[in-house]
Formats: sequence, structure tokens, C-alpha cells
Amino acid sequence: MKLSTKVLASVAMLALPAFLATPSFAERVLRLDESPIGEIDPSKVTDYADTVLAVNIYDTLVYPKAGGPGVEPLLATEWTTDGKTWTFKLKDGVKFHSGNPLTADDVVFSLNRMIAMGQGFSSLFAGRVEKVEAVDPTTVKFTLTEPYAPFLAALVRLPIVDSKTVLANKAEGKYGEFGDYAEAWMSSHDAGSGAYKVESQNPQSETVMVKFPDYFLGFAENAPDKVRYRYGIEAPTIRALMSRGEHDISDLWLPPEVIRALAGEKGIKLVTEAGGATGEYIKLNTARAPLDDVHCRLALTYAFDYETTLKILKVNDKYAQGIPMKGPLPSGLLGYDKDLPDYKQDMDKAKEELAKCKYDPKTSPIDIAWIAEVPARERIALLMQAQFSKLGFPVKVIKTPWALVSEQVTKPDTAPHAVEIAVAAVTPDPDSLLYNMYSSKVPPTWMSAEHLKDAKVDELLEAGRTETDPAKREAIYKELNKTLRDLAPAINAYEFTGVMVVRDPVGVPKLEDKSKQTLDNFNLVFRDISIAE
Amino acid sequence: MIWKSALRRLGAALIVMVGISMLIFAIARVMPGDPARIALGPNASAAQVAALRAERHLDAPLPIQYWEFVKALSRGDLGKSLYTNRPVTTDIAQFLPATLELVIVSAIIMVLIGLPIGILSAHFRGRLPDHVGRLIALIGVCTPAFVWGVILQLFFGYFWPVFPIEGRLLESTPVPPDVTGFFLVDTLLAGNVPAFFDALHHLILPAVALAMAGLGQTARLTRSNMIEVYDRPYIEMARAYGFRPLRIATRYAFRPAFIPTLTILGLEFAAMLGNAFLVEKVFGWPGISRYGVDVIIRKDLDAIVGTVLIIAAAFLIMNIVVDILVSIINPRIRLAAGRG
Repeated sequence: MKLSTKVLASVAMLALPAFLATPSFAERVLRLDESPIGEIDPSKVTDYADTVLAVNIYDTLVYPKAGGPGVEPLLATEWTTDGKTWTFKLKDGVKFHSGNPLTADDVVFSLNRMIAMGQGFSSLFAGRVEKVEAVDPTTVKFTLTEPYAPFLAALVRLPIVDSKTVLANKAEGKYGEFGDYAEAWMSSHDAGSGAYKVESQNPQSETVMVKFPDYFLGFAENAPDKVRYRYGIEAPTIRALMSRGEHDISDLWLPPEVIRALAGEKGIKLVTEAGGATGEYIKLNTARAPLDDVHCRLALTYAFDYETTLKILKVNDKYAQGIPMKGPLPSGLLGYDKDLPDYKQDMDKAKEELAKCKYDPKTSPIDIAWIAEVPARERIALLMQAQFSKLGFPVKVIKTPWALVSEQVTKPDTAPHAVEIAVAAVTPDPDSLLYNMYSSKVPPTWMSAEHLKDAKVDELLEAGRTETDPAKREAIYKELNKTLRDLAPAINAYEFTGVMVVRDPVGVPKLEDKSKQTLDNFNLVFRDISIAE
Repeated sequence: MIWKSALRRLGAALIVMVGISMLIFAIARVMPGDPARIALGPNASAAQVAALRAERHLDAPLPIQYWEFVKALSRGDLGKSLYTNRPVTTDIAQFLPATLELVIVSAIIMVLIGLPIGILSAHFRGRLPDHVGRLIALIGVCTPAFVWGVILQLFFGYFWPVFPIEGRLLESTPVPPDVTGFFLVDTLLAGNVPAFFDALHHLILPAVALAMAGLGQTARLTRSNMIEVYDRPYIEMARAYGFRPLRIATRYAFRPAFIPTLTILGLEFAAMLGNAFLVEKVFGWPGISRYGVDVIIRKDLDAIVGTVLIIAAAFLIMNIVVDILVSIINPRIRLAAGRG
């Protein structure tokens, strides 16, 4: 035997196990990925992966509306409100994975559990809900401490847990009669009513879910029987897995060059998640000279190169990872004003504004931080350096890890003059985006790196919270959007649109049909997905 | 006598572990970033962050925090990961076997391929096999493990897809009942031979990628040590007596030449536990090394300390094991240990 033949034979022998363990095609398996970790306890949901898991394992009273802002019914069939009290009628006959019926008591328990544990999105409810009570098995009433219009939208972040299952699995803990609220058990099991139930859970590598056949809304034809949600797979590995047909849907964070390479392969298509909830903001520190002068901020806003930024984000002629913004409100939220002009670079206007600024740019250095974990942002930081230098500012670009940036930006003295940060609305209500960014009542966080203090903005934000008439609320947020555009606390660089790579046989209706698309993070609904092979 | 010496070393190792725990405890806490804020996610309120800080004693002075840690450790509790929301011991128990299995197979590859390359290179010094062996060793040492990972994936996963490139088992292969956490062992204990081959199949590419640097190092060390031994008078004498070259190489030259290599092999083995993270990332391997890096990025204090202590313990244990093995191989060291 020649050497090359021996080598080939050896490799073939090593490859033999692949054929010994030939996969079964009896069931439809959907394979997709996200960044780690996958948290399956619905009271601890914080990010994209957690949201996708919660959406598919649990149900909520309402769900973000498809094709526009607001919500639509899910577990609730109808509701009434006077602003301070909200009463919901529940669907009858909904069952948990355990077989227990879903009742108003479970809604009460779920809210109390979330608030008591104080994690995830509990801040949407803590201190705001005075009382929650089960009026009867299918009626639940929330009494708020004061009228709060965004409450309805906040309910998309309240997954309903099976109180009996949770209590049956509680251990000793700090929550009195509720023990640990089954916190330990819920990290590897579910107590939901959603279309899929957890089969196995490894928060670092994979959550495996299987169909819950009794799901009250049913399934699309050819919906997956099993879903493998994998975490932390590197882009080159995803590329190879998709080429081999061993992965179905990529995450949103593949570099454009990898997406381009995969898009060119047979049997692969691109889809986009453009729910209009995420803005990429260059946050300008309004509390530090020279950016405490609105004219200096406007000068930077006009000097920013929007066109080149969008070119950087372009995947191909049809798909890009960003679209232009018209103000701080992204396109999927109430108050978005499509009649406002897109931002465009205009160096003449930038110089005009600079002439009105009380600071001399030559003696006013500007520091731009970019988040080390997101290398693509370096290009945008360097682009800003080039443009702002043309106005005469000495500009320093600093690479900073997120852990440090998130701490620096909470203090006006240490926050950089400019830093690109993505902020997403976590509910289908503009309040969940703008209040945390611009209300002077909220203690500074990474979301409010601008440190804006403006009476009119505060007034409009409060008005948006108390007004319950949707038309009047829309007018309030339109005015707020325009006011913030004029105040320029941030350069509204672009609206994030996620591009995912999908294998041809896999149909993802919410991502392939704009009219079915809903808020970012809420579009990967496994029961709607079909696998043709 | 060997055991007395090993016990002495074990005592010293415990003191080193205490020192390491103090050091890593302090270092983890001076790293930038608020662990409570990072753990609770971007949308947590200031009140939530403050509550978690209080619950985890993060506002307490460092010595008090360390005392709380030691108290918990005495109960076998390494704290709770802010990243996975589980006890650190649960995480380590889940992730450590995957890395150990990977590292053990890598070490076997290192020994089975690295040593023969070194021996052949020395034996055929200055000739073609030596040049080829040195080239392989040099490339192995110079190329980072993750680059090997990507290269192997490209050739054997993409152009010629004969090996799996992600995970520990095929989707269709049932995960064996957890006995040791080593899939190669657990599949056999479950009597599932196809699953054993599947697990082995999944191990090959990551193990080769991880082994390449150590393999090169082993080959180079073995070669240089063998050459040094070949120049010694007793080898000359063996040759003069007409002993066969194979006997001289394996019986008289290799044993003394192997001692420095064994020391390096031991350290390489322990180092791979920490260095495997990029290979684990590339191959989606759910191991402790990848977990360690993830928790450092998220400033997950208890998990950082737990992971570092485990890897430090592996270093110390391997040092002791190597010392015992060297004592067994080299009687002079054994006798010296007995006297000391």
C-alpha cells in the first residue's frame, strides 16, 4: 500500500464513526445559536437569548404587535383600564406543561415571584404595582401606585409560571413560605405553558426544547419537533456548520464578511430582523465642556458621516446591519415620525453651529471611547476622529472594555465625550427606551451616558407615562422625538437591523414578511417556523 | 520514601493554594466593572444592583469578603456564579470533565506522536527524517492552538467534511448517563459502542489542535536530550559491544533523556487545562477553560476564584505526580528524596 493510500485509509477509518451514528430523520430539528448564556428562569431574563427562550417556553398576557407599535392579546382576551387599575380576562383552557390549568392565581404568583427575586425585568413592575389580585380564575386585576400607561406593554416581560410546579420544587431559601421560589430548580427545568418545553439545559452550551403538543395556539405545518438553541459558537464554526447543513439559523452578530460569504453559497438565504427597537447612539456627554454647549453638539451631529457608517454596515445590495434614523426613536415605536428628514453629513452647517458655540475647538479636546468587545465600532470611532478633527477639535480615540465603560459613563466627570452604545426598547413602548436615557429622575446608568438635564424633556416623558389615550401619547412622543433631535444629546447614528443567515428549507415567517415582524427579540417564535425537509 | 516526599510536597501545595486563593480573590476584585451590574444585565435598576451587592457582601471590606469566602469554602461551597446563576461547584462539576477528557486525549496524542518524532529525529540526526521531524515540531510550537483549530476545521470540516466540528456528540446520539462526565468512559459504561465512537470522533480535531504545541515541544526536547545522551561514553561503549541501534535507543538512551521531557509533559498537561479555551471556543466544547474566560469577562467573582483554584490545583497535583514519576525512573533522585 502506498503511503498516500495508507493516509487516506486511516482518515476514512477515523471518519467511520460518523456513519455508525447516522442521524435519525424521524423528527424535525431546528438548530440555531446565540451568545451565552441561555437563562431559562423567566424571572432572570436579561438579553436576547433569554428572551427567545422565554417567548417559546412561557406565555405572557400580551405580545408585541406584529407590523406596528403596541401589543396584541396572547393569554389575555381583553382588558380594561382607568390608567391606575388594569383588569385582564384570561383565555380559558390554557394548560401548563405539567397539565395544570393556567389561572389568574398563576399570574399573581408570577408577578410576586419576579418582584421578590428582584432580577431580570422586575424593575418594570417593582414599586409600580401596588396590588395584584385574582378576581376569579380567569380575571386578574393589577392596581398601580399611580397611572402608568406603559404598563400594558411592560406585560410582554411577565412570563406566567405554573405556581403549583414552582412550589412543588422549592428548596430552602430567603423568601419565607416560598423558600427559594424554586430558583435552583428553575435554572434547569421549566414551569411554562409555551409551545416548547425544556428537555435539557446547559447554560453555557445548549438548551434543548421539544414540542408541547397541547399548546393552545397550535403549530405551523412542519414546525420543529425539537429545537437545539446553542450558545457561544464562533463565527468560523457557524460558517462551516451552515455550509455542511448542520446549522439552520445564525445569530445576529456574524461579521458582514461571513454573512456575505455564506450568502453566496447554495441553499442559504438571508433574513433580517428589523423590529425597529434598537438605536445605535453616539452618546455625547452634555455635562462636560465643550459638549455642554448645544451648538458644539449640533456641530458634531452635522459632521458625523452617516453615509460611510451605513456603507460599513452593508452586507450586500439588499441587506445591511443598519438603516438611517430620523431622531432618537427607532422606527418600530410609537412617536416615530417618518416625515422628519434623515440625518446627513453637512460640514457647512457643522461650521455654522461651531461658530455659535462658546468654546474654541482648538483648545477643547474630545475623547471618543469605543467598546473593546465590539471591534466593528473602532471603524466608526476612527471615522468620527477624522470628521471631528476637520472642525478643529483635537480628538483622542480610546479602546475601553465594556466593564469599564459601563462604570465610567455613570459619572459626568469620567464619561467620555462620545461613546457608541446600542440601546433597545425592552417593551413595545417608547417609554422603555427614552425614560431611562433622558429622564433626570433616573440615576445615571450606561443608558444615560449623555447626562442630559432638560425640563421640557422631563415634562414630556412624564406626560407620556400618564396619558392613556394612544393618539395623544403619539403626539407627545413625536414632540419629544423632535425636541431631542434639536437638543442633540446623542448622534443618532443608525437603527440596528439584524441580519441572520438561514438555510433555504427553513421558513421564518416573522423575519421574511415585514408585516408579520414584531419588536426586536420577539421574532424567533419556533412554532411558526417550518422545516421543509 | 517516595510517599513521604510526596506528602511533604502536598503540604507545601496546600500553603501555595492558600496564597493563590488570596491573590486571585484580590485581583478579581480590583478588575474594572461592577459584577452586580454586569450580572443583572443592562436593564436592571440601581436598586436591584444595590440589593445584589449587599446580598453578595460586595460592599464589605476585602478581608471580610475573604473571610466569608473561607467560611463557605470550609463547607465545600465555592459560592454562586453570577453568570450561570448556579453554584460554582455545579458548574465546575459539569464543565471540568469535558476539558479533562479533551486534555487527556491531547496528552496521549502528544506522547504517542511527539516522543517517536523526537526519538527518530535524534536517531537520524542530520538526515531527512530529522529534518522532517524538526519541521513538524517547529510548526507545532509556532502555531497557536486556535489557528490549528481553524485550519483543521477548514480541511476536515469544510473542504473534506469527514470530522464533526462542534460539540461532543452528534444530535442523534443520546447523551450517556452521567457517571464520570467523560463521554468516552460513560458511553462504554452504558454499553453504547456507536456512541463511544461518536464521542471519539468528536474529540479528534480539538484534541489534535490542542496537542500540536505540546507535541512540538515534546519532540524537540526528546530530540535534544537524546542527542546529548548519544554522546555519552556508555552509549559509545554499548555501540562498541555491538548492541543493536534500536536497543540502544529504547533501553539506554531514552530513559535518561525522558526525564526532562516528563517534567515538561506534566506542566504542559496542567497548562492545557487553562489554555484550552480558544480550542473550546472554536469547537464549541463545553469545558472549564471556556467557562473560565467567560466568567473573567463578566467579572463573575466566585466563579473566577473557583476556576483558578481548580486549575492551580491541577498544576500542583501534576507537579507532585511528575516528581513521583521522575523518582521512579531515576533512582538517584529517589535516593536523594529518601535522604532529604
